[in-house]
Amino acid sequence: MTVENIPNVRTCITPLEEDIKVYEQDRVGEIPDKKFFNKNRKKIDEDVVIVGSGPAGLMAAITAAKQEVPSILLVDENHLFGGQLIKQSHKFFGSEEEKAGTRGIDLAIELMEQVNSFKNIKSMLETTIIGCYNGKNNHKLIAVKRLTKGDQLYEINCKSVIFACGAMENMLAFPGNDLPGVYGAGGVQTLMNVYGVKPGKEVLMIGAGNVGLIVSYQLLQAGVSVNRVVEILPKIGGYNVHAAKLRRCGVPIFTSHSIKEVYGKGKVEGATVVAVNNSFKEIPGTEENVTCDTVCIAVGLTPSIRLLEQIGAKTEYIAEAGGHVAIHDSSMQTTVKGVFVAGDSSGIEEASTAMIEGQLAGISAALLLGYDKEAGKLKKKFRKALDGFRSGPFGLKPKTCKEKIACCWDGGINY
Amino acid sequence: MNEIEKKADIIIIGGGVNGCSLAYQLAKKGKKVVLCERNYICSGATGRCGAGIRQQWSTRENTELSIKSIKIFEKLEKELGQDIGLRQGGYLIIVHNNKDMIQAEKNVKMQKELGLDVSILTPDEILDVVSILDIEGMKAIGATFCPTDGHVDPFKTTHAYAKAAERQGAKLYKFTNVTDIKTKNKRIDCVVTNRGKIKTNIVINAAGAWSKQIAEKLNIKLPNKPFRKEILVTERVKPVFKAMVISFKDGIYFSQQDEGQILGGIPIPNEISGYLTNPTFDFLNHMSKTLTRYSPKLKYVNVIRQWTGYYDVTPDARPILGEVDEIKGFIQCNGFSGHGFMLSPMVTKILTDYITDGKSSDILEKLLIKRFKDKEITHETSVVG
Ligand SMILES: Cc1cc2nc3c(=O)[nH]c(=O)nc-3n(C[C@H](O)[C@H](O)[C@H](O)COP(=O)(O)OP(=O)(O)OC[C@H]3O[C@@H](n4cnc5c(N)ncnc54)[C@H](O)[C@@H]3O)c2cc1C
Ligand SMILES: Cc1cc2nc3c(=O)[nH]c(=O)nc-3n(C[C@H](O)[C@H](O)[C@H](O)COP(=O)(O)OP(=O)(O)OC[C@H]3O[C@@H](n4cnc5c(N)ncnc54)[C@H](O)[C@@H]3O)c2cc1C
Repeated sequence: MTVENIPNVRTCITPLEEDIKVYEQDRVGEIPDKKFFNKNRKKIDEDVVIVGSGPAGLMAAITAAKQEVPSILLVDENHLFGGQLIKQSHKFFGSEEEKAGTRGIDLAIELMEQVNSFKNIKSMLETTIIGCYNGKNNHKLIAVKRLTKGDQLYEINCKSVIFACGAMENMLAFPGNDLPGVYGAGGVQTLMNVYGVKPGKEVLMIGAGNVGLIVSYQLLQAGVSVNRVVEILPKIGGYNVHAAKLRRCGVPIFTSHSIKEVYGKGKVEGATVVAVNNSFKEIPGTEENVTCDTVCIAVGLTPSIRLLEQIGAKTEYIAEAGGHVAIHDSSMQTTVKGVFVAGDSSGIEEASTAMIEGQLAGISAALLLGYDKEAGKLKKKFRKALDGFRSGPFGLKPKTCKEKIACCWDGGINY
Repeated sequence: MNEIEKKADIIIIGGGVNGCSLAYQLAKKGKKVVLCERNYICSGATGRCGAGIRQQWSTRENTELSIKSIKIFEKLEKELGQDIGLRQGGYLIIVHNNKDMIQAEKNVKMQKELGLDVSILTPDEILDVVSILDIEGMKAIGATFCPTDGHVDPFKTTHAYAKAAERQGAKLYKFTNVTDIKTKNKRIDCVVTNRGKIKTNIVINAAGAWSKQIAEKLNIKLPNKPFRKEILVTERVKPVFKAMVISFKDGIYFSQQDEGQILGGIPIPNEISGYLTNPTFDFLNHMSKTLTRYSPKLKYVNVIRQWTGYYDVTPDARPILGEVDEIKGFIQCNGFSGHGFMLSPMVTKILTDYITDGKSSDILEKLLIKRFKDKEITHETSVVG
């Protein structure tokens, strides 16, 4: 979209203004003749910068602040703090200490109030970290803050940085996947629970993991009908409680089924689903057309690691992590000194473990800068808590993930 | 992973444009070829490069090699049965002072002798080719221009070679790291990989910036040095120019892709040799400043990505080709010093002729490694990036 003669603007995150001129672009826009940025970039210095304010980032900030690190900056590109939490209207599972039983939305507010009570934490919303570079003793982050009148570019120098950038939703390749009406489950959740907008009238959900199940239920709560959930695996991946809730509402879950294509003129009008055999191959003749105006894809997440790669942290592909992840030690430090990772960025898991990893990263970053208030004891406690979560059948995947990460650790590279 | 072959006529190390082109040509001549790539196809310099193709050089060999290479590029789509993204918008080489103009005139004279369509442009004529340039900002007194220079898609080309090679029966092994090479009686005997041993009498070292390490396994010292090179791409805007603009003095090169993004690079001052992978802020700064000096109109275009790759640089900035004296069957195809994409069609043809028919050529003789033992080497001066 072209906004005020500036091409290639992401209108979904651009603040509206009276009289603002928005045009659909014909493929590519003209070379802009106007600046989007304010003239001078601002430079700021910080001790610790935290990228991302999901449960991991919020806890990292709070923990570093408790260690009395003098200046901490918390940055998020969203217009609200909380990451995934702000759309999670359901009650959390997990341990009491990590606020199980609380709704995600309430937890975000609670943690943010804590953040605000610390004088040593500054926070910036609607600010995207677009680049990061590491120097000898510090790290440089480039940030863009969206403002109604032109954006502001920042150059942030810091001693330590914690990447808690969360994850990106996976897409599926099928004919018609670019039609309006095909969404990621996270996108649908944001529309409903953050903006109060219904995505459509009749939804086909792809994927019966926890995300697919929970979002289906929330769609029902919002008065949207869910035609069915299809799942390529022979069994449901999410927790039984969530699957049972859906079934009670009459939503069928088709295992060993997948989506073949989406059709419609200019928008989704229906989709073809198909049964698959043991090796996930479509079984001809089992195609069925489903009438729907929304297709919601909930087929997993991939850790966001681009910034970590740019700053030079070693990454590896680990299937149990959901993709490539930054290799880190038991203090959450990556192979680049002073660069930490926490939460879904270090392997897809849960809010509860993201919170603990955030605490571990926060305390380790503080310790690196020489702030130590019983840090050793706390670290032990956090590690033990993580081990607790990663035991039992549901903890097996993250446990394997973290074991593999540990195997890839061959000592940090000090630049 | 599946079992790998136990024996091959020729083993190529490296799945960049040069390795894949060699695999195709040698397999086409009936050789049993195995290519080992430790990552994936295009993971080296090839998948990170500007992929400009030009014929305007200061040395005769490079000019000749590149003229013939472009002739091959022009027919490659038909030969490989796949689009390679060739676009001939010309190279505009900016000249900034009288001393450089004398060199440019000398180059153009030599290039014309070799049959190249190339001319010297006045500042006004520069703007006819690329209207958004700023003559004063560039401090330009003129330029040289060759309309048949241009750009090729490095991914499309290399994958087209790879597919064609496989159709000819070559085996391309990805994620296969060559860890050692063994000899018997000063002759190549086998290659050791993480997936097993392969017997062979011929090894081609097309491992790009890692060629030096490959040669070291046989106690052969290559003079090549790796240099990190950075490059960036902007968002897509309406296409307004087709030529690649370069300057030897400033080291900058940039062009606009058909899809609208502007792609270009520049060396950062005081860059040191080594396997540094991180992109730098200095580059971003230096490139944006120089680019907008050359074309202030681009001032408000957003950079969307920057990345790095390696130049495999030799003391005279020319490639090292052919067999080494010490070990029979050990053939070099490296040291491209930042222009190995555009030279690849001819270089790989020359090597194929040598390997299959024992045919040498003047050019091959001049680019053997033993030239570095001589006192005087002819330096290629027309280098950017
Ligand atoms: C439908 C659903 C239900 C779930 N239910 C539960 C549950 O019941 N219990 C549970 O424990 N877990 C649950 N989870 C998982 C949990 O939400 C995540 O594991 C957790 O939010 C991860 O936290 P995080 O801090 O790592 O990342 P996120 O919460 O994803 O936060 C990342 C933040 O980083 C910001 N960011 C990213 N890149 C940049 C950048 N370059 N510059 C600035 N900011 C950036 C993003 O805007 C975002 O706000 C659920 C997830 C989903 C999708
Ligand atoms: C930023 C940049 C811009 C450039 N611009 C241009 C340009 O405009 N025009 C131009 O002509 N050239 C350009 N070049 C140079 C060009 O990219 C290279 O010269 C060319 O791609 C070299 O191809 P190659 O096949 O020889 O090597 P590479 O593409 O580097 O391939 C070598 C391969 O060997 C593999 N390998 C290494 N060690 C082993 C091992 N032990 N076992 C198995 N495999 C191994 C590597 O993984 C790699 O994939 C540029 C380079 C860079 C970095």
